[in-house]
Amino acid sequence: MKPGALPHGPAADGARRRAWPVLLALAAAILILLAVLSRISVRTDMVEFLPAGQTAAARLVMDEARAGTATGLILVGLEGADPAELARISKAMAAALPATGLFQLVAGGEAALPPDALEQLFARRYLLAPAEFGVDALRAGMEGVLRQLRSSAAPLATQFGLADPPGAFLTLIRGWAGSSTVRSVDGAWFAAGHDRALLLARTRAGGMDVPAQETATGAIAAAFAAARPGPARLLVAGPAVFARDAARAIHADVQRISILSTLLIAALLWWRFRSPLVIAAIAAPVVLSVAVAAAAVQLGFGSVHGVALGFGATMLGVSVDYPVLMIGHRKRGEPAAATRARIGPAFILAVITATLGLGAMLFSGFPGLAQLGVFSAVGLATCALATWFGLPLLIVAANLAPVAAGDPAWLPRLERVRRWRWLGLVPVLAAAAYFAAIGGPHWEGDLANLSPVPAASRALDQALRAELGAPDAGQILLLRGPDAETVLQRQEALLPMLDRLRTEGVLAGADAAATLLPSQATQRARVAALPDPATLAARIEQARAGLPFRPEAFRGFAEAVAATRNLAPLRPEDLADTPVGARLDPLLTRRGAAWQGPIVLHGVTDAARLAAALGPGTADVTYIDMRGELGAILAGYTARAWRWLGCCGVLVVLVLGAGLRRPGMTARVLGAVLAAMLVTAALLTGAGVRLSLIHLVALQLVAGVGLDYALFFARRQLDAEERARTLRTLVTCNAMTLLTFGLLSVCDTPVLRDIGVTVAVGAVLAMGFAFFAAGQAPGEA
Amino acid sequence: MTRLAAVPERRAVFREQRRFAALSEPLQSRGHLLYRRPDYLEKITDWPQPERLVVDGDRLILTEANEPPRVVPLGSQPELRTMIDGMRGPLAGDLAALRRGFAVEAAGSLQDWTLTLTPLDPRAARLLRRIGVGGHDDMIRDIRLIQANGDEQWMQIGPPA
Repeated sequence: MKPGALPHGPAADGARRRAWPVLLALAAAILILLAVLSRISVRTDMVEFLPAGQTAAARLVMDEARAGTATGLILVGLEGADPAELARISKAMAAALPATGLFQLVAGGEAALPPDALEQLFARRYLLAPAEFGVDALRAGMEGVLRQLRSSAAPLATQFGLADPPGAFLTLIRGWAGSSTVRSVDGAWFAAGHDRALLLARTRAGGMDVPAQETATGAIAAAFAAARPGPARLLVAGPAVFARDAARAIHADVQRISILSTLLIAALLWWRFRSPLVIAAIAAPVVLSVAVAAAAVQLGFGSVHGVALGFGATMLGVSVDYPVLMIGHRKRGEPAAATRARIGPAFILAVITATLGLGAMLFSGFPGLAQLGVFSAVGLATCALATWFGLPLLIVAANLAPVAAGDPAWLPRLERVRRWRWLGLVPVLAAAAYFAAIGGPHWEGDLANLSPVPAASRALDQALRAELGAPDAGQILLLRGPDAETVLQRQEALLPMLDRLRTEGVLAGADAAATLLPSQATQRARVAALPDPATLAARIEQARAGLPFRPEAFRGFAEAVAATRNLAPLRPEDLADTPVGARLDPLLTRRGAAWQGPIVLHGVTDAARLAAALGPGTADVTYIDMRGELGAILAGYTARAWRWLGCCGVLVVLVLGAGLRRPGMTARVLGAVLAAMLVTAALLTGAGVRLSLIHLVALQLVAGVGLDYALFFARRQLDAEERARTLRTLVTCNAMTLLTFGLLSVCDTPVLRDIGVTVAVGAVLAMGFAFFAAGQAPGEA
Repeated sequence: MTRLAAVPERRAVFREQRRFAALSEPLQSRGHLLYRRPDYLEKITDWPQPERLVVDGDRLILTEANEPPRVVPLGSQPELRTMIDGMRGPLAGDLAALRRGFAVEAAGSLQDWTLTLTPLDPRAARLLRRIGVGGHDDMIRDIRLIQANGDEQWMQIGPPA
């Protein structure tokens, strides 16, 4: 389709063209957009994007999932040099980072706990761990110490054993050591399988405080550079890094898309209309619509998510259709009312149905998608209104119209293709047969795959987490209470049962705050059960009989027991800002007015038996299989989106039926749109994509643009010249949609990429189906 | 030292005597040793309480009587590492390695020499006062570990039976 020659006639008279209203309108729209952009607050974190949960249990799970991402945990890997060199760099970094004051904890080697933390725990061993003080237990403990003195572990016996024959400290330290699998090289942690040094850092700032995370990760990079790393590479991961990566990716994507799509659309419009004034006239309503949409989201949600903004930038590719349709259908010199009258019914129907179609997104209950829905619906409606009421004044003032006109010779040849429109059923039937054969599309059940975090960052995080022995909280027992003490007591009530389940092989282990820090009640009970000095001295004498220990050998033990009688119970707040506290922190946290203490379960082999042993959950004790629950939550939102999609679909059908007043044509218009959606879904599934809520939403957009096309093709009793105008204009619209959403498909942000691919594919198909099904075949009136 | 370094593998029997401030009498034990260059050391106690201690590179594996082996990465236990290095260093004849962890003092003649090792790392020094190694030619006669609290571990080494 080449642009034809400029038509001649009175309309081409330059004296009657006035450019300034167009330029003024565009300048005003740009000023409004700049004003809006300077006032909105843009968020890029995952918390804003994810739902808060519909039921109490779901809210609990989501809260946990979000809180997990809110902790400033940073996993650091070093690789690409020989182990000794990596260990040197790791130790240099571990030494330099605490001095920045940005980190609550930096761990990368040596012992799991520093010496002074060990001493703190050792002094409180009879508060924090169970011990028996009977004569028989003491005798057995003493014999154990003697065995240890004979063994190669003798230094441990003299350091700890003599002062602790009941072995409370050993029990305590096993709990604190955790389930890490790291090995140590030259005093630095290394991954078990390969030469990668590992460090663990926890920032003081929250994980979602993106500027603070930028500073913290910057400090890590600086410490790495200061250690003269040579060929070694630095890897960082963790929720905090995710937040930063996602923010960066979204920022870069939004910037790239808005610039590129603007340039591409401008180039395309230049090719089509050959007039900078036309481009300015088309830009004015579009720019205005982005401004109004952003302002609406800001008002409705309190902030604008970066994803919504990026998506909004590509909504240009859809909403720009309206001004293009208006100008593309104008005959040169025609008054505004005449153009509006010719395209009016199709235009109005297209706007109403497209906006309705976005309703499912709006009411999905998924905050991120609801933002996209508001942005799109408001953007489309604003652009349509501005086009309908404002644009005609501008185009008449500047006398804008397409350069190509007339009744081209290629049109009948092209329209003859519609004789074989039944062939359009082939891909539809093939898609239906494909879905029937594989049992429907594959659905995405993992909420993580809907996050705005790039997949590569998540893979690195998984790898480092596994190597550090810090597995994801997959299965947890969530305990809640009004205060930390209640939570710890509830945990203590459960621990014996979990111990029994462990010996029965139902699970491999459980991390609980109460095993690290018992409740104050338990600590007080332990103090109360301690023997008084005279009793203990007598028992020690009795237990020592016949063993080669000197009388004063257990003086340290007796002193420690006596000292414990005067110790106040250790509380969580006493451990704040210590390495011990950092270990306790994720297992016991204040959440609003309540306290939560998740018991993290490892290696659950028999979830059914575990659930049975726990009995029905209460409000205070909930067994959560995180992956399963998140999947269920996602399924809930998807079902809800389907319901709204159904409601909106019915509304669209009603509006179409009323608007078109021809059942046959309504069926053909709807058929074209549904065919495009079905074949798109089949193509995506065939390419190995798991369909998600995001794709569902993108298909709604496909429906929106498809309706535009079909409705304009479906207009009745048009002369060849008008049909040529329609075809040219719709091809322009289609090319714009393809360009902008095609751009989205190269984004780093998964959500934007999914939408881009779906809409780009769907728009092309919708164009084809609409041309075949909704347009008139030759001889048809 | 260089002559010690020239021996690729050593086998020996040992008799050990440990004195602890907490005990009224010394603890005796017997067993045998295997050392292979550069950093493999096996100490098997036969009597009275069977135990097998293997130090292989950076790993320490301790197997007591009927218990499953315990693996201790030496990198995470600098104090323990210093003690092991004090025993392994003279066997390896690696003076440079010894000097990284200890102040080394040599005395005597080739026929009757002694090495005194004092740990440099203050954390290690809180546990270990010094290690004395005695020998003649390329043979080690005895190793004496003195803990910071005065406890003493004296291992006499002889040719394999």
